[in-house]
Formats: sequence, structure tokens, C-alpha cells
Amino acid sequence: MPVWDLRDRAAVCGVGHSPYGRRLNRSAIDLAGEAIRGALDDAGLRRDDLDGLIVSFGTPIGADADTLAQVLGLKLRVYNQTWAHGRFTASCIQWAAMAVNAGLANYIACLAAVSFSGLRKPMMGGAGDTEGAREAGGGHGEDPVFGMTSPGAGAALVAQKYFSRYGATSRQLAAVAVAFRKHASLNPAAIMREPITVDDHQNSRFVCEPLHLLDYCLINDGAACVLVTTAERARDLQKPPVYISGMQGLPAGREEFIWAYPGFGVSQQAMFDYEPGLQPVYQMAGVTPQDIDALFTYDAFSILAWMALERFGFCRPGEAAAFTQDGRIELGGKLPMNTNGGLLSEAHVMGWNHQVEIVRQLRGECGVRQITNAQVIQWANAYGDSLIYRRG
Amino acid sequence: MTAYSKPLPTISSLNRPYWEGLKRHELVMQRCGDCGKIWYPPAPFCPECWSRAVTWQKLSGRGKVNSWVVFHQAYFPSFKDDIPYNVAEVELAEGPRLLTNLVGVDRTEMRVGLPVEVVFDDVTEEITLAKFRPVRQLS
Repeated sequence: MPVWDLRDRAAVCGVGHSPYGRRLNRSAIDLAGEAIRGALDDAGLRRDDLDGLIVSFGTPIGADADTLAQVLGLKLRVYNQTWAHGRFTASCIQWAAMAVNAGLANYIACLAAVSFSGLRKPMMGGAGDTEGAREAGGGHGEDPVFGMTSPGAGAALVAQKYFSRYGATSRQLAAVAVAFRKHASLNPAAIMREPITVDDHQNSRFVCEPLHLLDYCLINDGAACVLVTTAERARDLQKPPVYISGMQGLPAGREEFIWAYPGFGVSQQAMFDYEPGLQPVYQMAGVTPQDIDALFTYDAFSILAWMALERFGFCRPGEAAAFTQDGRIELGGKLPMNTNGGLLSEAHVMGWNHQVEIVRQLRGECGVRQITNAQVIQWANAYGDSLIYRRG
Repeated sequence: MTAYSKPLPTISSLNRPYWEGLKRHELVMQRCGDCGKIWYPPAPFCPECWSRAVTWQKLSGRGKVNSWVVFHQAYFPSFKDDIPYNVAEVELAEGPRLLTNLVGVDRTEMRVGLPVEVVFDDVTEEITLAKFRPVRQLS
């Protein structure tokens, strides 16, 4: 038992988001303001209550934390931002959960905001992309010298390896895209609402083979915000609290590759049969994968849903291809995933739109896509971090 | 001859010996004098045991395809005429993996596990890239 047990000690007390769209003609700061305002309204709080800010996917692509504090007239005691890379959603919420319990701030707005349409085009993979220019290659395995560029290329490398190692197929992978699109069709906020079939997926063009266009997430404009406070304070606000029951940090090192779990054998990872055991997030929350009512994951590419399922022990390595068939991950299935439509079909807000959906599911606010009696929902990713939320 | 317009590597104090080796048409990587590990990308000391007894060693240039992709979209204008082009991750016989392009390979031959060997592509006066081709059995 850690000295400082944070199970159910922090809570989400408000969520908000901007409209999502392919081209909103609004800046990231503009969108961020709307999301923060929405979250405060949702919690029944005012601007002056807000004394903490953590921006995910910040400068130089997303909304900049320094600018936000200035132009929104905030008075912050705690703030931070991550660089413009997805993957830090859980980290930001973890830092906020710790900071409010340490008394560093009372209410911390955690968010991402981006206007991809307002950026120079080559930003995701081309000459303006700072990712591939890192000293030893990009964070997703980029190496522009060989034309290995864009986040999807590393995911394609993982997909090819997966197909080869486990005899799975692109046709099986289509089930992920089809399920999330079905969910988006029930979500008025989603950008892509037209249902798709496995054949639509198979007939969509290759971007980086073996991944098809429909294996790729959206590139869009939007902002989403989660307001974190202590469990005690959250109980006194207007909406029921959603407790943060378990947390698991973001791992790094030679055995990690952003799109694959240890042992998978891409990048410099060793290759072995991965055994997840009971991951720390479950131990902290006092639950097991069998207790999870719905799973949300960073689905920048469909293959990441398979990697997340295997990484956290919902099925064994190589079994996610079969596990995701026959509606199991759809609403009404045994383990609904990304009921908002995910990055694939709702919007790419770096997973922050998923946090909004999780909170609304646990409050019972999701209407036609409501999961019956949702009590415990998990955010868990191919790259190994996680949060478990519990209904208050 | 038109100038080479594709992205070039960033040379640093750490990776300079790697690129100097390629210029000599040698594939070299760091090796630990204490634990024997060979690794990539270059590191200030051994990533396994943190020994500073690091030397650069010539490798066999042999390996196998660990995974591969085919680009159908051009992110850099300089790659546009190559579409569709392959990128492979090659696992060297000595262990480390390298991103590269496969040359002299038919699309239908591409597979995980394909045995390959290095070829040196002098793309500019200063820069040589390590590319790989299938190992052909002598008949």
C-alpha cells in the first residue's frame, strides 16, 4: 500500500467541450475557452474558482497554456502543459488528482484544444513536423530519411507484425472501425456519423499499407475539458462526482514502443510472450478486468484497440482479433469500447473527448447510447497508462 | 544530375561515427566492452549496464525483415514519385533494428522474416544510407 492512497480521493466534477468539426475556422485558444467555460458551467463553478490548468497536446500545435492563462484572465496557482503529442491524457489527470489532494490547487482544468485546419499542412508527417526530426527519430518511430513519416506509419508497422505473428487479417481489424462508427452514429457531437461496413473498410484506400483510410482517426478542430477536484469538494457540487479510483503511469524505455506493449518486438523491443498480470491500475482501484463495464482507448489507429485489450489482459496476446468480432465491443456487447465513436469517428481531441464521454456514461447522461447501469469505466492504452473511473 | 531533395539525417556528436561508417560503406554500431551488448540508436554509454567502455564495431550487414509497410500517400513532395514505396524495419543479425528501404525486391516477395543484406546508397557527397536487399541464393 502506498503511503498516500489516492483511490477515490480525486473526482471529475465537470466536463465541457467545443463543437467538433473538420474546419471550424476557430483558433485552438478560442475552442479551449469554450471547453473550459462549459466544464465550469457543468460543475456550477465560476472562473475565479479555477486555480489550476493542465494543457495536454500544448505548444506548438495545440492551445498554449501560457496564452490561455493570459487571455482567459485566469489566476492560477498550478499549471503545466505537455508537448504537442497525444498520449498524455491520463498523465495530466493523474497530476491533477495528486495536485488537488496535495492542496496545491482546488479545481484544475485539464484539456486539449487543437485547430488542425488552421495549421500548415505538412505538420503531421511532412516538412513542418517536428516529431520526425528528433535526434534518434520520432516518437512514433518516424525516420523521414527513408520516407518513414507520420504517426500512422508506426501503427502500420505494428499491424503488419501482428498479422504475421498471429495470422490475423485486415478484415478482422475492420470490426474496430465499424463498431466505433456505429457508436458515432448515435452521437450528435460526432463528425463521422454515417455507418460503415467491413467492405467499406476493405475498399477504402491504403494510406500506409496494411492500414486503410478507415483505420485512421480524424484530423479536425475541437477542444474538450475535464475539471478535477478532491472527492470531498466534488460531493458538494451540482453534478454527481465521478471518482478516479485507479491510476497507472505512462511507462517508457527500450521495452516500450508507443503503439505496442512489451515483448511485441517492434522498434528495439525484445520479442517474448507478454503476460500482463493484474496491472497496477486494477490493484489501486480494487477491481479486475471482469469488473469493467466499458473500455475507452486512444484509437488514433484501429490496431491500437487490439493492443490495449491485450496489454491490460482483457484477452491474451493474439486473441484481440477474434475478441473484437461479433459485436463484443459494441454497445450491448460484453465490453463496449469508445461509445462516443472515438478518435476514429467522433473527433480527434487527443482522448479528451473520451474522458468527457466516460464521465457522462457514469452519470447516466448518454441517452440512446447509454450503457445500462455503468458503474466502473476504464481508460487504458496500447502505450500502457490507465485510469479507472467509478460512479459516485 | 539533380540535387538530392529528400530529407537528410541530423548528424550529432553521438551518431557521427555511424554516418562516417556508412560513408566508408561499413555498417557500424556501438558495442559494450563489458557486457557485449550492441545497440541502436547511439547512446552516451551502454543502455544495458551503463558501462562507458563503448567502442564502434563493424557489423555483418545481414538481417531479416521484422516488419514492413508500403506508403500510398506522399508526406514529402520529394517522395511523391516513389509512391507506392516500401519502408522496412530490419532486424540485424547482431540484434538492433533499423528502419530502411528495401531495394531490388518485388512487392510479392515482401514478408516478415525475409533474409536481407545491406547495400550502401551514396545519396550525397557526405551522406550514405544503409538500404537492404533480399539475400539471393547462388545457384
